[in-house]
Amino acid sequence: MTKKQTAKFLNFRYKILALILVVLAGGLVLLPKYQKNEGIKPEQLLANTISLERYISTDQMAHKLISQDPSFILVDVRDENSYNSYTLPNAINIPLKKLLDDESKAYLNQNQFDVVFFSNDHYYADQAWILCNRLGFKNLRVLKGGLNHWFKTIINPPKPTEDMPEEAYSLYDTRKAASMFFGVVYPDQVQSNEVETPKIAPKKIITVKKKKKVAEGGC
Amino acid sequence: MGPLIPNNLIPLEWNSIIAILIGIVFGFVLEASGFSSSRKLAGVFYGYDFAVLKVFFTAAVVSVIGLYYMDYLGYLDITQLYVHPTYLWGAIIGGAIMGVGFVAGGFCPGTSLCAVAIGKLDAWVYVGGILLGIFMFSELFNFIEPIYDGYFLGNITLMDTFSWNPYWFIFIFSIIAIVAFAFSDFVQKKIKKVFY
Repeated sequence: MTKKQTAKFLNFRYKILALILVVLAGGLVLLPKYQKNEGIKPEQLLANTISLERYISTDQMAHKLISQDPSFILVDVRDENSYNSYTLPNAINIPLKKLLDDESKAYLNQNQFDVVFFSNDHYYADQAWILCNRLGFKNLRVLKGGLNHWFKTIINPPKPTEDMPEEAYSLYDTRKAASMFFGVVYPDQVQSNEVETPKIAPKKIITVKKKKKVAEGGC
Repeated sequence: MGPLIPNNLIPLEWNSIIAILIGIVFGFVLEASGFSSSRKLAGVFYGYDFAVLKVFFTAAVVSVIGLYYMDYLGYLDITQLYVHPTYLWGAIIGGAIMGVGFVAGGFCPGTSLCAVAIGKLDAWVYVGGILLGIFMFSELFNFIEPIYDGYFLGNITLMDTFSWNPYWFIFIFSIIAIVAFAFSDFVQKKIKKVFY
């Protein structure tokens, strides 16, 4: 290319640059569009799913409730009737159908509190967990075993048999104490209505014998 | 993949260091291309130098095209980018004041600091004015607060407000940019040359 040709080419340089810009911008318009996945990536979702942090045990939950831990929100994902008949203390009701409403999102999509889902088993709670996790909400947990397991372990803990190790006994004691916190009454804890009257001890009459004066000393 | 820092590909702690490095390069390029001269900046309003218009328009168009290609190819999630929140009347009034200051002083805040660095006296006065303005704003803050915090529309973009297709918008935006460049060249030829 001679100098003259180069100069001629450079005369057009702005036009060429402008053309490149238009072609690139037009390319964006013409590119075939595809549906993008909303929320987090599948690999991330899988990693969250197999994470041990996904579940919280009923014992941990009981401990949190008893110690009045303020760091979590309990979310009951069952329908309203079940919620009204029984639920965990301070739980809020977000039925699975209303999970992605704007009103519910205020509770679920935040960074301040842990959210603990529960249902009768952990089946529906897991569904809620997956849906919310997929949308990238943080700090979600599921109560392992749900309310059924809650009843089996905390409200009505099985008494350990004699061939069980000591830990089973201490666990039973803890659970029993927890169940008493949640309002269960055990027969051996019931106090009878009889008012124990303190036995009045018969007055002992002590007769004091007057000592005879003994002649003191004396020489 | 991207943005790099929110997705932890670069640790958060690097944030300020990267910002300082970008700032140094930005300042260098501003100064090297003559943007620390108030005459060059004011030229866009008098029609003898359209460098400012061309530079910022080109920057916007190139970056938006690049970002959307990266989004399309999956290197960047455009929804994760920060969108500056809109306080409608605050932006309108602030923009008008800033515009008056721009025409009158011949600097925008960034270029004024650039010019301070190379020792331009008008820039010293200009930055003094900025500091005075900040002081007055702080003193009058209680009075201004309803406008400052009010008319909040959230982190919205033109696509959200008018539900436009972003790709068509970028295409039309680049056409507008090119037309603006051609028009500014045309105007520049008509206006008497100013040497500065």
